[in-house]
Amino acid sequence: MPILNSVYRHREAGHVLTDLAAYRAAGGFAAIEQSIGEMEPDDLLYVFHRSGLRGRGGAGFPMGRKASFLPKDAKLAKYVVCNADESEPGTFKDREIIEMNPFQLIEGMVLAGYAIGADRGYIYIRGEYEHQARVLDAALIAAREAGFLGDKILRSDFSYDITLYRGAGAYICGEETGLLESLEGKRGQPRLKPPFPAVAGLYSSPTLINNVETLSALPPIVTQGADWYAALGPEKSPGTKIFSISGHVVRPGNYEVVLGETTLRELIYEHAGGLREGRQVKAVWVGGSSVPVLGAAHLDTPLDYESLNAAGTFLGSGGCIVMDDSGCIVRATLRLASFYRHESCGKCTPCREGTNWMERILQRMVDGDGRMEDLELLESLFGRISGKVLCALADGAVAPVASAIKMFREDFVAAVTNGGTPRPAPMPVVEVR
Amino acid sequence: MADYAPVDRAADNMVTFELNGRTVSAPAGTILADAAYAAGVEIPIFCYEPRLGPPIGACRMCLVEIEGMRGMQTACSTPVTQDMVVRTNSPAAKDAQDGVLELLLAQHPLDCPVCDKGGECPLQDRTFKFGPGKSRFIEPKRHFPKPIELSSRIALDRERCISCFRCVRFSQDVAQDGQLTMQERGARSEITTFTGDAYEARFSGNITDICPVGALTSIPYRFVARPWDITNTPSVCGSCPVGCNTELTTRDGELKRITGRDTPNFAVEEGWLCDKGRWGYDVAMSPSRLTTPIVREAVGDRSVSIEDGVAAAASLLTGRRVGILLGGTATLEEAGIALDLAANGTLANAVLARLGVASGNCAPLRAVTGAQLGDIDAADLVVIVGGDPAAQQPIVELRVRKARRFGARVISCGARPHALESLGEFTRTAPGRLGDAIAGLGDAIAQASRPVILWDEADLASDPGAIEALSGLLAASPHATQLMLGADVNGAGLSALGVPTTGLYEAIAADEIDALMCVHADPLEAAGSVAWQTALDGFGGPVIAIATYASTMTERADLVLPALAMWEQEGTLVSMTNRAQRLRPGAAGPAQAAAGWEILIAIAHHLGHPPAYRTAASAFGHTVASHPAFRGVTPDLIGTDGAVVGAWPTADTHPAAIVADADHLVLVATRDAFGDDMTARSHALRTAVSAPVLRMHPATAQALWLNDHDRAVLVSDAGNSTALSVLCDARVPEGVIVGPLGAPGHPIEGALARNQHQALVRVERA
Repeated sequence: MPILNSVYRHREAGHVLTDLAAYRAAGGFAAIEQSIGEMEPDDLLYVFHRSGLRGRGGAGFPMGRKASFLPKDAKLAKYVVCNADESEPGTFKDREIIEMNPFQLIEGMVLAGYAIGADRGYIYIRGEYEHQARVLDAALIAAREAGFLGDKILRSDFSYDITLYRGAGAYICGEETGLLESLEGKRGQPRLKPPFPAVAGLYSSPTLINNVETLSALPPIVTQGADWYAALGPEKSPGTKIFSISGHVVRPGNYEVVLGETTLRELIYEHAGGLREGRQVKAVWVGGSSVPVLGAAHLDTPLDYESLNAAGTFLGSGGCIVMDDSGCIVRATLRLASFYRHESCGKCTPCREGTNWMERILQRMVDGDGRMEDLELLESLFGRISGKVLCALADGAVAPVASAIKMFREDFVAAVTNGGTPRPAPMPVVEVR
Repeated sequence: MADYAPVDRAADNMVTFELNGRTVSAPAGTILADAAYAAGVEIPIFCYEPRLGPPIGACRMCLVEIEGMRGMQTACSTPVTQDMVVRTNSPAAKDAQDGVLELLLAQHPLDCPVCDKGGECPLQDRTFKFGPGKSRFIEPKRHFPKPIELSSRIALDRERCISCFRCVRFSQDVAQDGQLTMQERGARSEITTFTGDAYEARFSGNITDICPVGALTSIPYRFVARPWDITNTPSVCGSCPVGCNTELTTRDGELKRITGRDTPNFAVEEGWLCDKGRWGYDVAMSPSRLTTPIVREAVGDRSVSIEDGVAAAASLLTGRRVGILLGGTATLEEAGIALDLAANGTLANAVLARLGVASGNCAPLRAVTGAQLGDIDAADLVVIVGGDPAAQQPIVELRVRKARRFGARVISCGARPHALESLGEFTRTAPGRLGDAIAGLGDAIAQASRPVILWDEADLASDPGAIEALSGLLAASPHATQLMLGADVNGAGLSALGVPTTGLYEAIAADEIDALMCVHADPLEAAGSVAWQTALDGFGGPVIAIATYASTMTERADLVLPALAMWEQEGTLVSMTNRAQRLRPGAAGPAQAAAGWEILIAIAHHLGHPPAYRTAASAFGHTVASHPAFRGVTPDLIGTDGAVVGAWPTADTHPAAIVADADHLVLVATRDAFGDDMTARSHALRTAVSAPVLRMHPATAQALWLNDHDRAVLVSDAGNSTALSVLCDARVPEGVIVGPLGAPGHPIEGALARNQHQALVRVERA
């Protein structure tokens, strides 16, 4: 059996696989044929479990374990929900998979559905992904016509279909319970947990929620075997990860790397073509905008869950934003704070009021009205916002601000003493090679 | 309001846990915030409100430390478990409280000196008790044009809102009117209706009670009083037979506000009020209010003092055979004194009767174990037999919706379409044919473990077959309880005292009465008004009206004595669930008016028979407590929460069932709490009034060549109605007309027979 270079078949094939025949030619749907009606659902679940696959949406929770939390004897319907609300700033990996390889996601959702005995799958796609929603819709129709979805898939006893649902443009709907609320037609707001979605999720039924990248990894895990996947990269968190790299790099884009085998420096300088001439790395948000920022000193950190945790940040969604030394960290931090103020759903007091307050303090600093005590004020707010709320949005809002003040304190002090920060030069247009 | 749920500290599944170093106990599964409060430790809360359903954990005010659990936990969502170790006053917990309050107040205007909530504001109180004392927020606060009128009765000051979602949850989950929602996101979140229109709903006022800040305030109470100027008196509402427990706010002897009680009566209204009970009190200040006694003479009307009025009444009654007619809102004291005067010789051989539905034939149903409204919560099956509870007994709607939320099955049957039918299965029956539907309920009741049967007094009373079927069903279902959906405010109390619905009319017609005294009763506006009009046209004696509001009778009476309104007097009412509850005065009332019971005592003094009682309480003890139903019941026992009185034998009979025939349609009267003449007189409720219409099936209307908005008159053996607008409603069974009882001008009462809510009618285009 050939060893794949990539977990994602369009990358392996080197071209888009939006055509069902092309996907089949690239080895697609082999996993469905091999497992639906052929394997016991529990055995399939065990394959996921043994692969060591961790959730690629940001939290990194082991996928097999999450699926095993669903009650086996529940009388209620069960659901698989795919989180395609890819709204994390700097993250655009799911978009690529959906655009170029929608069938692998569909196949992964069928496998997950079979493993947990689901009645239906839902794909919640962010409202802004209009084109991607069209691609997915066409793929769903094609998969249904080919018998991979719908009644008695491949003449087995397993019937399962997928509904595509477009969000309306709220970051909070990427939070799993906020997503479920929105999917139920309500205002997108996180729910009080427990109960967790595995027990009472969509319509209070047991629900498995996973990210696009996670579910799309399932077909090759089935065809190549759990051992193959588990052998990729570090023992605790194996597999490959697509990093979306953006910012001050020469070749922004998506790069799939085996976890633990590539350092941040290699990602920036080899895959993404390095920085512009004469520039140095100032700051990197490796896992999307909600993780603590890293500096030039961290460039040799290997890209895997454990190493990044040791460096004080998270792998997150893999949305790697790079800023060189022409950028202003105070302004960049304000920009992120504004994003979280805008996206806080407003349910929990600390997040609703705290993100607003943080933004206004940072705005004053940028505008030249900062005070030295504002730094202590901000630092005292972090602990009163982070960890005091229902979901992870507040932690994500605090992390980039807290880490920036910790790592680049002198820049914030300068903003106060210099009466603000200079307006940066307009971004040069970078030719994408 | 009732922020914490009551805790049963005598339950048998108690667990002990450590709270701030003390060992305390509570039933397993009790919410920590409630368990702590019951143990004397206040964990501050804002969004938590047990009556709104499961906690949402939004405001984060109740963060506490629990050993073994990562981070801080919300006490509003954590059930207590054995040996749990909780700290609510540790440095980390105090910092969390400081933090949340500082953040809540960051955008809050702190305009307490001009805020109506100031002085009775949970945010203010908890800031003083738990807050940091000083804000570090130096940014300009948000400003809005203020206030927005959320409705004609509720003002919204958006900048004061702390986004606790209580009002949204009330609208969405409790009242289920689906109107309120949060608009925008994050710090820009705003309360609004989904459509942007006014929040018009029948329970809307409750959001002003549960708002923990001054964001939602009552417009009639805005800038009217401060908490230190007022006194609050626990009382009950006498607008319908439910008897919701209320609190009356008084300033300078005037009633300024009605709210739910701080400690709700969970057996009755659970702290919720309908908007009529909350805001309808302004009818006491309406132009139709009677304020001075009127002596009607040939030369014209003469206003006199209350003392002279009472003296005039006594002289009109002296030496005459007196008939006393009690209205459905008359209190136990008024009825008890009237009975006493008739029995002790003050008014020798007086004939007493009451206006109301004759439902003596429902006695077999009343004999079954009675439920309180609170028992509906725990029911797994709610059966609604007949009636129109959402309109006639509004608060019942919230109870049934709550039971449904908890998973109860709801089954309705009856002729009148109503709002609760959509909560489950329903069977439409023709009038007089309820028995058929009841026969089909057996399986559902047998399968349920805690069924509660709600039955409509008027519908069952006119359907002997249904009484038989239902009492048979109840006899076969010992686990079922029953609850009467009553027709008259104090109907249960008056019939418990043995006041019949018959006898007086007949005595007048037989010329056995020389003087008539109506106490809160207007037979000319009641069912059978045409017959009463004829009887009174031939009546030569004087008529005395003791009444609060002008009506047809007070226009005709020879002497009108103004009575205090229900918010101004002492008295006892018995709710439809046999609950004796006390009215307490929250206003002084007009100077030349007096309570009905006071007027009756004063008349007795003038007649030379001073009774042994001078107060409402002693009148209760002397005249009411001796009746079998009230044995052992004292004003003290009734207290502020009421006391359930026993079932009673009653001599009332009811005419035969009314069944449609080829030549007639059946008029079924329904009283919409928001469509009656009281609501029409209220300024505050002007946008809540529902218009009186004759509802009929489109096929019925078509057969009569009638369309929507056409006007029609109902003609029956009893008399004619006045013209009313037609409204086609496909939910009404064919051959049936649902007409508005008690509507302004009392249009349909003329077509009804005395003490009946159904009639055979013909329809004529007006």
